[in-house]
Amino acid sequence: MPEASVILLIALLAVAVITVGGILIGQSESQNLEGWLVNSRRMGPIFVWFLLGTEIYTAFTFQGLAGYAFAKGSSAFYNVALNDVAYAIGFFILPALWLIGKKFGHVTQSDFLAGRYRSRNLGVFVALASAIIMIAYIDLNIEGLGAVIQVIGHNVFNQTISDLIGFLVLALAVVLGGIRGNAWQSMIKDILMFVAVIAIFIVVPLHYFGSFGHMYQAMLTKIPKFLVIPGASKNQGPLWLITTVAVTGMGQWMWPQWFGIAYTAKSPRTLKLQAVFMPFYQLVKVMMVTVGLAAVIIFAVEKVKGNDVVMLLALKTFPEWFLIIFTVAAVFAAIVPAGPIIMTSASLIAKNVYGAVKQDAKDRTVYALTKWLVFPLTLLAFGLAAAAPALIVVVLLIAYDFISQLFPAVVIGGLFWRRATKQGATAGIIVGWVVSGVLLLTKHDPWFGINAGLVALACNFVVFIGVSLLTPAVSRDYLDDFFATAFPKSRRTAKVAGAVNTESPKA
Amino acid sequence: MKRAVSYWILAVVLVFVLYVVVSVLFFNRDGPAILGMPPMLFWFTVVPLVTPGVLGALYLIDRRVNPQWEEEGYDARG
Repeated sequence: MPEASVILLIALLAVAVITVGGILIGQSESQNLEGWLVNSRRMGPIFVWFLLGTEIYTAFTFQGLAGYAFAKGSSAFYNVALNDVAYAIGFFILPALWLIGKKFGHVTQSDFLAGRYRSRNLGVFVALASAIIMIAYIDLNIEGLGAVIQVIGHNVFNQTISDLIGFLVLALAVVLGGIRGNAWQSMIKDILMFVAVIAIFIVVPLHYFGSFGHMYQAMLTKIPKFLVIPGASKNQGPLWLITTVAVTGMGQWMWPQWFGIAYTAKSPRTLKLQAVFMPFYQLVKVMMVTVGLAAVIIFAVEKVKGNDVVMLLALKTFPEWFLIIFTVAAVFAAIVPAGPIIMTSASLIAKNVYGAVKQDAKDRTVYALTKWLVFPLTLLAFGLAAAAPALIVVVLLIAYDFISQLFPAVVIGGLFWRRATKQGATAGIIVGWVVSGVLLLTKHDPWFGINAGLVALACNFVVFIGVSLLTPAVSRDYLDDFFATAFPKSRRTAKVAGAVNTESPKA
Repeated sequence: MKRAVSYWILAVVLVFVLYVVVSVLFFNRDGPAILGMPPMLFWFTVVPLVTPGVLGALYLIDRRVNPQWEEEGYDARG
């Protein structure tokens, strides 16, 4: 179908132009690891808003969420709730992490854990494990990209080759542009995505039902099972909703890439402002859930894969010129969020694993290795996507439950409970991962209606506290300084960087 | 600082309850419509608009009781 090829080519050309723009903008500001990875902590509220938005509103929001509502009905609302609960949690913990990161020079989550627990080994352990878990997250975006190109292109392009081209472009942009370049791409992507989401949200009811009122009425009469929980999902009831929002809300800031984005902010206040305004983004998710529910009626007699719903609706509904904008938005929704994920994954291995093993490594070497690692990590994600595409969904579910297990070590022990020890943190994380893995792999999720990740987190908490109480704590003097940075209780007049306190901090 | 933490925990609990407790108790039904919308869809459209209000109030309280780095009053005792 030649029109499809033309639409795809124009869309990919637009993606390339925006990517080159990001490279040119980011290059001058990416001369060292801190500049490349966290923009030397100089980003204002608008850029941080876009960066956070980009990481949270990905191909899953654009395509997956409508598909999830299409398949499971109102269970999809868990995804609207989780981010807002996470913003409320992040309101306090992200600024605290920022202050500690600023003082101690942290650029990764692993730096923070190694610093808090004074354990290089814990830092290496978490860095390696997180880097592996994040590859599953990159796969999600590869799947999204493949779905866009396949549906719009009517299978003109082979999915693996399309993914490979897209991610090579991304890898180049990440290596050359760093986080600043990615923020520019994010801004374009978010604007396009808003336009595309609002367009499909308005056009679908008008085109297929005549008005919003008629669409809602059709939902109430034709698909009542999709409007309640558990309803169409069968086993995702109220208890599942409550426990899933709890565990994913706690888990959101445990993803190392979001942790890293918090470090890019200019000040703690920037992060608090984000928490206030980010919930507005959730309306995008509500729109996509609505589109997914409408699609249940529209595709009532057709066999459609959930992930293809949005692109099929766009193909059926929009004129060609708008389909180009829609496709660019969809492609960016898949490839832009993968940038910080790959960067964080690479930096965890280079800085926190290689840097820990070879302690005399120069900063320049670590920086070069981080950039070099972008390519093999991207290719590894490709390899996984190509080799086991069916397994990826399972891997991703496990990945989310796995990453949430860092919450006790990072937030409870990292910011509030001084008695927490490296042994307690490590034992808790391992127990949480084992319990998650067993419950998920034996298909016990939900377990008596409770999200398996929360069951694992409960076990994790018990072990974390028990083992911490039985093992020696980090020295009081060190922790006084560490905690006082995030929660100042003594008079100080100097800036945190290179601080000269007027009094010794006593937390 | 303790006051700031208390207000923060209160806000987290409030947002959580609005989303998952209120929705389950009062809106988990397939009719009648509220403002023409299915009840669950109506509630999940309202809460993202309410949440910035809750967190905005927390922000204003936090500004007063918990000055941040480089802000006037940061040296106030927590």
